[in-house]
Amino acid sequence: MSAIVAVENLVKRFSEDVLAVDNISFTVDEGEVFGFLGPNGAGKSTTINMLTTLLKPTSGKAIVAGFDLAHQQDEVRKVIGLVPQDLTVDDELSGRENMYLQADLYGVDRDRARRDIEDLLHVVNLEEAADRRVKTYSGGMRKRLELAEGLIHHPRILFLDEPTLGLDIQTRVAIWDYIKDLKAKHNITVFLTTHYLEEADGLCDRIAIIDRGKIVALDTPTALKRSVGGDVIDLIVDGTADFSEAIRQADGVLDVKREDMAYRIKAVKGEGSIPKVLQAVSSQGGNVTSVSLSRPSLDQAFLEYTGRSMRDAEQSGGFDRAAAARASKRRR
Amino acid sequence: MTLIQPIVWLGLFGQAFNIGALLPPQTVPMFFSGAPDYFSFMAIGMLAVNALFTCMFSGMSIVWDRRFGFLNKLKVAPIPRGVVPISRILATVVRSTIQVSIVLVIALAFQYIPGLTGLTLKEGFGIVDLAGMFAVLFLLSTAFASLFTTIALAVENQETLFGVINLLNLPLMFASAALFPTAMMPDWLRAVADYNPLTWAADAMRQFAFIDTIPIHSLAFDVLGLLAVAILLMGASVVVSRKLLSNR
Repeated sequence: MSAIVAVENLVKRFSEDVLAVDNISFTVDEGEVFGFLGPNGAGKSTTINMLTTLLKPTSGKAIVAGFDLAHQQDEVRKVIGLVPQDLTVDDELSGRENMYLQADLYGVDRDRARRDIEDLLHVVNLEEAADRRVKTYSGGMRKRLELAEGLIHHPRILFLDEPTLGLDIQTRVAIWDYIKDLKAKHNITVFLTTHYLEEADGLCDRIAIIDRGKIVALDTPTALKRSVGGDVIDLIVDGTADFSEAIRQADGVLDVKREDMAYRIKAVKGEGSIPKVLQAVSSQGGNVTSVSLSRPSLDQAFLEYTGRSMRDAEQSGGFDRAAAARASKRRR
Repeated sequence: MTLIQPIVWLGLFGQAFNIGALLPPQTVPMFFSGAPDYFSFMAIGMLAVNALFTCMFSGMSIVWDRRFGFLNKLKVAPIPRGVVPISRILATVVRSTIQVSIVLVIALAFQYIPGLTGLTLKEGFGIVDLAGMFAVLFLLSTAFASLFTTIALAVENQETLFGVINLLNLPLMFASAALFPTAMMPDWLRAVADYNPLTWAADAMRQFAFIDTIPIHSLAFDVLGLLAVAILLMGASVVVSRKLLSNR
């Protein structure tokens, strides 16, 4: 796959002591869902603002859809869609009118706009509410409208800044479905930022973990989790016999620890290893009474790479840095 | 809100401060640029002041666009940067024209309310005069809409912005012929007021509205002055937007 976004040594410094993005480099492949995961204030929004021509990088280079961000901003703007963190749809207009406004901003001709708007409103399930004023919409409906607006000009890359921030869990799941749908049907590249672990895990093909302006890890969710140490199988076997050696021989098993009747097994792929482990134990005459599988979470991965859990990161430095960065932006 | 204010002004200020009553009746039109009474004089000025206020509020709505993130939506769109202030200015001019029309109707309607003075236009006031007045208002609104839009774009801090606007607004209104004849002002103030675009607009509109006006400037001077200021300020808004709406 070819890279549609290529970022090299990108830096954004807001002031002497606020370095929001610290020399990051990465590429996003065409057609993938690429996620920036990190606590508030890690530099996610700053990066997205730079890639969408809203902020000028302090230094570094970025190519978006073949266009250089430094010189070809208008070309970049034509091929990207941005769904911002804030809700920017107009309260006084209906959903459909908002869509037409967006179509006009992107120079989509009227006939095509009329057709596409119907399709998009259908995709985000807003057909029935389309002629009501946005004032009467719920937060989730607004976000869906915002998402549809971002697609009106058939962008090659859709940037989503915290797409499900502040939404309830059903709406969040619905938004995830729309995003997956988009990817499947239109082969659109999606670049999203999030600080929800389950969102990054369930939605993204690849994740960059970003903390304090730096990318500390970049891989598929599975690989990131595996790098923490694979799946864990907990097993309880009746009796006093030791089956450790037999289990260790089973396919995919990395490590076995025994504590009386309980065995803690580390395996590359838990669900594949369970049958083999069970077989190994029963062939030695063991009687398994309980088995459970737990997967390492992204939170563990986050902990591994940043030295703090996501929640701690949110509570400590992150928030203050974000606030400081925003305050300094306002002062300028 | 922007509508209630001129009504209150017309009703209270215009009726109560009837400084015309202090003058011998036959000299009133001389003092008030041909208007038969002070109310008629200030009602025309009030049209210009109303345009000023409407432009201030509307031009400043860019502040909210910035706050709610809508400005960013415009910034990521592949449109020339200058389109943002220009569309804001045009929308403001439309709004201002509607507002001013309503104020004009109210001022005229005051005639029919017992106990109130209303706006009395010259005999034979026709469609050409009306069109002339609105042409003047269009230029004035364009100038002020451009001014406030540019300021709202340039000053990102809200508190500073409101300070700047206040600092501009009141001197613009009072150091002008809109509510008070400049002839009665001290020399230094008059020197300033005579070159205030608000004065030009009021002066030009009075030349359409009344007969035997004693103009401050010729009609051509007023109109060309307003045109120049409008073009200059609109140009400034485009230049400023190019710099401020690009990525920084």
